[in-house]
Amino acid sequence: MKYLPLIWRNLGRNPLRSLLTAAAIALAIALVCILRTMPAGLDAVLASAAANTRISTHNEAGIVYSMPYAYLAKVRAVPGVVSAISWNWFGGAIDVTKGTEFPNFAVDPDGFAEVYADWGLDPKAFEDFRKYRDAALVGHTTLEKYRWKVGDVVTLQSTVFPVSLSFRIVGSIPTSTPSFYFQREYLAQALSAAGVPFDTTGMIWSRIDDPDRVAPVMRQIDEMFHNSEAITSTETEVSFVGNFFSGLRQLVTIIQIVAALVTLCIVFIAANTASMSIRERVGEIAILKAIGFRKQTIFSTLLAEAGLLALVAGIAGAATAWVLTKMLQHYASGGGPQLGPLTAFVVSNVILVQAIFIAFFIGILSGWVPALGASRRSVAQTLREVF
Amino acid sequence: MIDLVNVSRLYHRGADEIHALERVSLHVERQRFVALMGPSGSGKSTLLNVLAGLDRPNSGEVTVAGQRLNEMSEDQLAEFRAHTVGFVFQFFNLIPVLSALENVELPLLLTRLGKSERRQRAETALRVVGLSDRADHRPRELSGGEQQRVAIARSIVTDAELIVADEPTGDLDAKNAEEILSLLQTLRRDFGKTVVIVTHDPRAEKWVDEVIHLDKGVLLEKRPGGAARGAAGAAG
Repeated sequence: MKYLPLIWRNLGRNPLRSLLTAAAIALAIALVCILRTMPAGLDAVLASAAANTRISTHNEAGIVYSMPYAYLAKVRAVPGVVSAISWNWFGGAIDVTKGTEFPNFAVDPDGFAEVYADWGLDPKAFEDFRKYRDAALVGHTTLEKYRWKVGDVVTLQSTVFPVSLSFRIVGSIPTSTPSFYFQREYLAQALSAAGVPFDTTGMIWSRIDDPDRVAPVMRQIDEMFHNSEAITSTETEVSFVGNFFSGLRQLVTIIQIVAALVTLCIVFIAANTASMSIRERVGEIAILKAIGFRKQTIFSTLLAEAGLLALVAGIAGAATAWVLTKMLQHYASGGGPQLGPLTAFVVSNVILVQAIFIAFFIGILSGWVPALGASRRSVAQTLREVF
Repeated sequence: MIDLVNVSRLYHRGADEIHALERVSLHVERQRFVALMGPSGSGKSTLLNVLAGLDRPNSGEVTVAGQRLNEMSEDQLAEFRAHTVGFVFQFFNLIPVLSALENVELPLLLTRLGKSERRQRAETALRVVGLSDRADHRPRELSGGEQQRVAIARSIVTDAELIVADEPTGDLDAKNAEEILSLLQTLRRDFGKTVVIVTHDPRAEKWVDEVIHLDKGVLLEKRPGGAARGAAGAAG
C-alpha cells in the first residue's frame, strides 16, 4: 500500500496515454459484458416465450409442410391432452409489396384459452374472439407498432391463399413477441367461397395436464401417426422455440469469439503502452534500483501500475455496460415495446465480477513482460547507457 | 570504511575487451571526503559503482562498512545499498511526478518506518540541505542546484554511512557547484559521513580530503586534497 501513491502518480505521468489505454480496455470490457448477457438473455427470452406443458406437433418433414386437419381430433383424444388447437400460417400482409411483417395465424378458438392459459388473456376479449367470426387477437407489441387499438378493422392480403380478409381487433395478447390470431372458420369460409379446398393444418398446439406426462404424450402422438400419410414430429414449446434460437446462438458464439479476439488485441495495445511507459523511464527505474529497490519490488510496482489502470478501466467498462442495459430495460418497459426482449439481457453481478477480473488479467498480462525486462536490467549498465 | 584489494573489472563491447579497472587496491577511512579524478574512460565511475554495490568486479575483494560485497546476492546488494549507501547523480535524477519531499522520502519506503516517521525524517533531511520551503515543489519547479540538494537530502535520509556522488557538479554553474561541494563537506564534517565523488571539476580538490587519480583503469596517485592540507596548515 505504501507504494500506491508512487504507482498512482506514475499513471498520471502521461494522462492522455493513460486515458486512451483505459478507454480501449473499458470499451473491450463493456463489449464483453454485453455479449456475456446474451446466452442467459436468450434463455430468458426462450423461457418467457415458451411453456413446459405446451407441445407442438408438425409434419416431420418441416413446419412448411402441412398435416391433415383430422389429426387435431385425434390429438385431442389422447389421454393427458387438456386441449389442442390447429394453426395455419396465413402470411397476411398489410401491403403485399412489403411482404408479411408480423406472423399471423388462423386458429381454432375452441381450446385457445386453455392452450394459452399462461398468457393471461382478458376473458371479455376471448369471449368476443369466439363470438365474432372476423375477430382477431393481436399481440400488444404489434398493436403499438401499427398504432392499432381494440375495435379497429384491419385488412390483410394473404401471401399463401388467394384471399384478402378484414379483421376486427377484439383484444390484445400481453406477450412481447409479435402475433396476430384469427378464427380458422373465417378463413375456411373465404376459401370455400373461392373454391379452394382447406382441410389441412400447419401445426397443432396442445396443452398437457402434467409436466411429467409431456414426454409419453409426445411419444404417443408421433406413434399414432407413424404409418400415416404425414408422419409427425412433436416437441415441447421450449424445444420448438429453441430451434428458432439455435441460429442466433451460433451467431452469438461467433460474436463472442470476435470479442475474445478484440480483447486479445487490447492486451497487445496495453502491453505496447506499458512498454513505452517503462522504456521512457529506464533511467528512473535504474535510480530506484540504485537506491535499494529490489527487482521484485520494481517488478511488482510496474505490474501493479498496469493492473491498476486496467482495473479502473474494467470497472468503468463494466459500469458502462450495466448502465447501458439498464437504460435499454427502462426504454423497453416505458415506451419502446419493440425492444421488449432486450429487458431479458441483464448484466448480472457475476458478469460484472468476471469482467473486472478479465480487465485486471489484461493489465497483468500486458505489464508482465515489460515489467520483467525492466526489473532484470543491470543498474550499472543502464546508468552507463542512459546518463 | 572502504577496502578494495586487487579489484579488476572487464567489459566486453562486441569483440573488444575493455579493462575498466585493473588490480585496483584502495583504502578509505571513515568520515573522509574523497574525490576520484581522471580523464574520461579512466574507470572512476566503474570504481564508484563497484564500491557502492552497483557493479561486481571480475576479481578482487570489495569490503565496505565491514560487509564483503563479493559474496552478496542481488537482493543482499540491494539491501546494502538501501541502508549503507546514499547516491547522488550528475543529472539529479529525481522522480518528476513526485514532490521534493516525496522524492526524499522514497528510500524510506524500503524501511519499516510508518508514514508519519518517514515524513518527519524526509522533512529533516530537506532542512539539512536548506530546502524546507521547497518541500511541495516538483523537480521541474526547482533550479538545478536545488534539485541536486534534494538529491543529497535523498541520499542522507536513511542515515547511510557512505555517500557516493557521480559528477555531482557536472550539470551546475560555478556558484551552485561550490554550494554542493560545501554541502558534501558538511555531511562529512558535521554528520560523520564518508563521501566519495567522481568528478572532472578541479574546484573539487580544495573541498576534499583525498584525491585519487585513475587512468586507463589503473590507480595512479592518491594525494591529500585541499581540505586536508588546510586542516594540516591549521594544525601546524
